Amino acid sequence: MQLQSRGLTAALLISVAGAMPALASEELLQNICSSCHTAEENGLSRISGQRKTPEGWMMTIVRMQQAHGLDISAGDRRAIVQHLADTQGLAPSEAAPYRYALEKDPNAQESFDEPFASMCSRCHTGARGVLQNRTAEEWELHMDFHVGHFPTIEYQALGRDREWYKIARTEIAGYLAERNPLETAAWADWQAADKQPVAGDWVVMTDLPGVGEAYGRLTVSGEASPYQVSGEFMMADGTTHPASGQMNLYTGYEWRANLDIGGTAYRQVLALSEDGNSLQGRQFDRSNDALGAPLSGVREGSGSVILGTVPSAVPAGEAQVQVVGTGLDGLDASAGEATANAFGAALSLAAEGNGAVTFSAGGAQGQIAHYTSVDSLRVEPEFTIARVGGGSEEGPAAVPAYFNAVGMWNGPDGEAGTEDDVRIGRVEAQWTVANAHEHAAHMKDTEFAGEMQSNGIFLPAVAGPNPDRPFSANNAGELTVQAEAMGQQAEAMLIVTVQRFIDPPIR
Amino acid sequence: MKPLNQKAERVQQAAAEGQMDEVRAMQTVTAGCATTFDPGWEVDPFGGLAALCQPMEADLYGCSDPCWWPAQVPDIMVNHQNWDEGAPNAAKDWRALGATYPTDAET
Repeated sequence: MQLQSRGLTAALLISVAGAMPALASEELLQNICSSCHTAEENGLSRISGQRKTPEGWMMTIVRMQQAHGLDISAGDRRAIVQHLADTQGLAPSEAAPYRYALEKDPNAQESFDEPFASMCSRCHTGARGVLQNRTAEEWELHMDFHVGHFPTIEYQALGRDREWYKIARTEIAGYLAERNPLETAAWADWQAADKQPVAGDWVVMTDLPGVGEAYGRLTVSGEASPYQVSGEFMMADGTTHPASGQMNLYTGYEWRANLDIGGTAYRQVLALSEDGNSLQGRQFDRSNDALGAPLSGVREGSGSVILGTVPSAVPAGEAQVQVVGTGLDGLDASAGEATANAFGAALSLAAEGNGAVTFSAGGAQGQIAHYTSVDSLRVEPEFTIARVGGGSEEGPAAVPAYFNAVGMWNGPDGEAGTEDDVRIGRVEAQWTVANAHEHAAHMKDTEFAGEMQSNGIFLPAVAGPNPDRPFSANNAGELTVQAEAMGQQAEAMLIVTVQRFIDPPIR
Repeated sequence: MKPLNQKAERVQQAAAEGQMDEVRAMQTVTAGCATTFDPGWEVDPFGGLAALCQPMEADLYGCSDPCWWPAQVPDIMVNHQNWDEGAPNAAKDWRALGATYPTDAET
């Protein structure tokens, strides 16, 4: 199988760092990398035997800088990442199960089988390991690399109780070579697939943490990375936040954008669908990736599609709802009056009591709940972590945690917490925190670990030893996050822990 | 017996003040502070914080130097040899300890 279509990438790229034209990608790769990597039958040594995500390639080049003294400009580095991700990337289906790692989802919890779990994901996400495809020889070298760079790996927990290196070489390398080989049908098919240009108009729906549920339009222009992106995000109350920035598209589907939205820098880590008509991923505060939310999008003109509604649910009575999507002319709603607009259709509702209004257009269907009461409440996420931070110029900033309260009805069985519960949508809640247990109470965690804001965002306290705590403990803490709304209460668990000093794009 | 270090002195003081319940041997608090994830960097083996070394700066170099938490904390032995520059005492100089991944290395 031909994995590298290098002849196709001989166009001049414009460097991100400035207006200087970068060398054609393959020539640039040769110039920068061949001083250490030797030419072999299939390309440069080590490099040619691997496929990775854009983030994976970026982390590799950063390691070459930090560990091997590679001198490279930011523009050349990105151009090489573009080239390698395009010619030696992952197929959409290969990355799909592990997108949470690329999206930096702070609430994702992994579960991997042994021995991979103890051998690999005891230190980093399992996703970091399996978001790569390599030759069998490359997987073996990858095990050796770990021993070379982290020589204590064999006497740490879950290393010294077994023949770590032997297992790594004989079991793990083979397992990964079989599971994630360099050559796959998925990658060959994706390379051969026709890809729709990303430029065009997109309708999107997301949540701006601390601001509210949002929908918007983004116009993508250009023919190659970096694409220009401009548009606006709208809030339920009609407030508009202009959006503009740049987007790099890798491997034909990996959308990475930096946008200014209403004066705040956001980052988008999204995936285009294989047909190029929809977007899915996560948008987050660029300076604080814990503050983010899922983002979905649809290309205007790709038929009738409903992404959802803003707001996601409404108190009974008169309400203005935006049905977010495209191709929604003539939206037929079970109640209220719909008018198509640039974001889908606006729906004027006057609904009584608890219930749902359904709507459809051109085969697309959706609904929105209206309520006067909720049977129970749920806090999302149910468990997450925050980190102390700041207090210095150098150290990592504090990492907050973002909670939402979701109203629920009991469903046909009349009991809360069962499978037939009906999710109403987000509801306004009062937020408090409590000490999670006796030890937390003894350490007075609620007093030291940080502050819960009224918008559901927990802001952790400053880093460093705190002389006001026993043993000068850090401002770490174990808290119960409590939401109260409409007479109902719900809880979630929050661990406020210490800083992370190594924070790459894939953790 | 004469206490030889500050810790022993505090144990003696606790005994004198009838506070021996507060004194616990290290191995009853942590599950053996000699492994990658017991305690881990973020949480202890029981999913909480009670068994973490606190404050973490007090023993940071003792563990991170030999890359105890290689994906979370820079090791000074191999991969980030200058990380502790200007911070000989982590408990006092923690403000000088920065993040190692370059902020401009975005895809």
